Amino acid sequence: MGTVHAKAPETTMESHRPEFEGPSNDTDPNFKFDIRTVPVKVDRVVIDGVGKTKNDILEKTLKPVLSASNFKEMVEKSTEAKILLEKLELFKKVDILIDTSKGKNASANGYEVQYHVEERKYPILNVKMELGAHSANESDVVVRMKYPNMFGRGESCTLDYSRVFKDDGGYGFQFSKPINGDPDIRIGATIYKGYTEFPWSSFKEISRGTALHLMFPTKLGSHCLKWEGVWREMRALNRNTSFAVREQAGHTLKSSIQHVLMRDKRDDKILPTKGYLVKLTQEYAGLGGNVEFVKNDVELQYNLPLVFDSIIQLSLAGGILTKVDQNKDIKINDRYFLGGPLTLRGFTVNGVGPHSDGNALGADAYWLSGLHLYTPLPFRPGKGGFGEMFRSHFFVTAGHLGNVNLNETAKENFKNLTETFRLSYGLGVVLRLGGIARLEINYVIPVRYQIGDNVDKGFQYGIGISFL
Amino acid sequence: MASLVGEVMHLNIGPTEKWPSDVAFFQPYQVEQVTLPDYSNCLAVRTFLNMSGLKFDLQLKTNAEEMSPSGRVPFLKIGAFLIAEFDTIVANVNMRGLSISAHLDETERSEMTAYITMVHTVLYNAELYLSWIDKDIFSSTTRPRYGSVHPWPLSWVLPWKRQMEVKARLNACGWINKTEENVHDEIRACLQALSDRLDTNIYFFGEKPTELDALVFGHLYNLITFQLPDSRLTDIIKKYKNLADLCTRIEGKYYRDIKEN
Repeated sequence: MGTVHAKAPETTMESHRPEFEGPSNDTDPNFKFDIRTVPVKVDRVVIDGVGKTKNDILEKTLKPVLSASNFKEMVEKSTEAKILLEKLELFKKVDILIDTSKGKNASANGYEVQYHVEERKYPILNVKMELGAHSANESDVVVRMKYPNMFGRGESCTLDYSRVFKDDGGYGFQFSKPINGDPDIRIGATIYKGYTEFPWSSFKEISRGTALHLMFPTKLGSHCLKWEGVWREMRALNRNTSFAVREQAGHTLKSSIQHVLMRDKRDDKILPTKGYLVKLTQEYAGLGGNVEFVKNDVELQYNLPLVFDSIIQLSLAGGILTKVDQNKDIKINDRYFLGGPLTLRGFTVNGVGPHSDGNALGADAYWLSGLHLYTPLPFRPGKGGFGEMFRSHFFVTAGHLGNVNLNETAKENFKNLTETFRLSYGLGVVLRLGGIARLEINYVIPVRYQIGDNVDKGFQYGIGISFL
Repeated sequence: MASLVGEVMHLNIGPTEKWPSDVAFFQPYQVEQVTLPDYSNCLAVRTFLNMSGLKFDLQLKTNAEEMSPSGRVPFLKIGAFLIAEFDTIVANVNMRGLSISAHLDETERSEMTAYITMVHTVLYNAELYLSWIDKDIFSSTTRPRYGSVHPWPLSWVLPWKRQMEVKARLNACGWINKTEENVHDEIRACLQALSDRLDTNIYFFGEKPTELDALVFGHLYNLITFQLPDSRLTDIIKKYKNLADLCTRIEGKYYRDIKEN
């Protein structure tokens, strides 16, 4: 399926335009042929190769093509319909062929738009190794089976099974369905079991959960509303686990509702060159279960392109966790952690903040900011090709992780948050990994840190899907 | 491997000092949460520590079982060290030179070990059988108690999960196919052996109590007093007059100040 088209509809449209507009505007100004004025009547839209895909969703998607009144409109509308089909993941492949209408019933300016499609007969199966996904320094095998367009209306089913070499594995089943043939409005359901180790806090967790979600766009951006019920079984990782962490071992049942608003106007998720991102997350836990809290997170990013392909990037993130019941402590598996080679650089992974016997305890609030100057590699090796996967960067990162004390005023709390912040700067190389992750090798100098923080001065490297 | 080394390390390093003042004793909530077999073990360890004159701070935790390094209750926190379950705790106390059975000779000592093993296998397995396999007791007592600290649906899932573990254990030692009558017979045989050993003595090995006395007290006192749907078990124990008297004696001597029982 044309995934490139599906992800970047604007460029597809751009590339089509010159083909038809070219002769009319540029080459010969006297030539009166303008595809915008060529009258067109789309007599028929033919779709060839359909098996299980339902007629109603196809009709809805392809109907606009029939309303085209000139040649340009016809091309645009057919392409739009193709993009929509691709976004709905109905077919493996979609090709368009436009032909003049033939036969008895053909009208004078009649055209026929043909879609040649290929459906997926079998689920897509893939097996991959993931490094450090569940626990540091360990790889696990993930088997994924995806069945797009399972019942003929764009429903997608995914089945995951992962096996960590040493320990318990996990599985996941996801179902997602577009509503009314609109690929941007989706409902979905998930069931999963996962095993994760948290070496910085020396505990492990088995989580079994189920979630329902609804995704929809508004003028503000894309929204995701999610309910999640998860049973988490937390245990100390080993005999050396700090007692403060061990004390929190046990079973918790979290039932929460979460809303995410994301407005992403960047041109790339990993190494953007322009645009901005606003992401707001609110979570309320306490609809049943024995975990209660309110969590508010914000993430902002702004990219400013400069001369010589360099980019200034300013990022800001923060979160605050509030108790609902003052007598109930929030457990370690819901708290915030900070630090690492891709976030607050110059510290070990989640090595900032309160510790007990070397185990990070996490806290109720954090903020993190980063200022990056991205430039192409010196002397630009592999320009326009391989070299575009790399950027060198200079950065300053600052952040803080701490508990909010309700006995103090907001002003004092704010003072605490700002006075004991951590600061580091450095430079390094960023590598884009497959459009979802990045790898960084940096030389970092931590400037400000607090007692208890795990400082990691000098060369530091990290791979991950979340970074700032 | 790492945990094995850790075990050895901790056995070597742990008991270098005498009994510190900040020892904490962790167990589940006694009144509404703990199950019959778990409470027998908690009571046995507490009695043993009381007999040894060792002070500890009793801490009730709903998640004591999950906190425990072995996954079973009770466990002790001695400084930075955690030790769980009766045998390990007794061994640790002995290593510190605080043993209450030091006066026994070799023969008596091996005799005591044999009786302790018998109590562990017979009485503990019988308690597991009755609380987790017996349908009446499981649904009326064990499940509500074990699940009481968890929200629905964990209040059903976790007892069921624990029941599976108990079934696997009882299956491994051949107890799963016994009938309730068989289990009562096992208990009778065990009590008869203990009763014969005790005879008219004050404690099993003379004038002073040993860990065997603590263990027997833990199980029997708990079996007599634990709220169960019927009183058949209590009736069986009460037939062994000298064992029932032993329980009264130990309770009077070591739990005089503790009125929570």
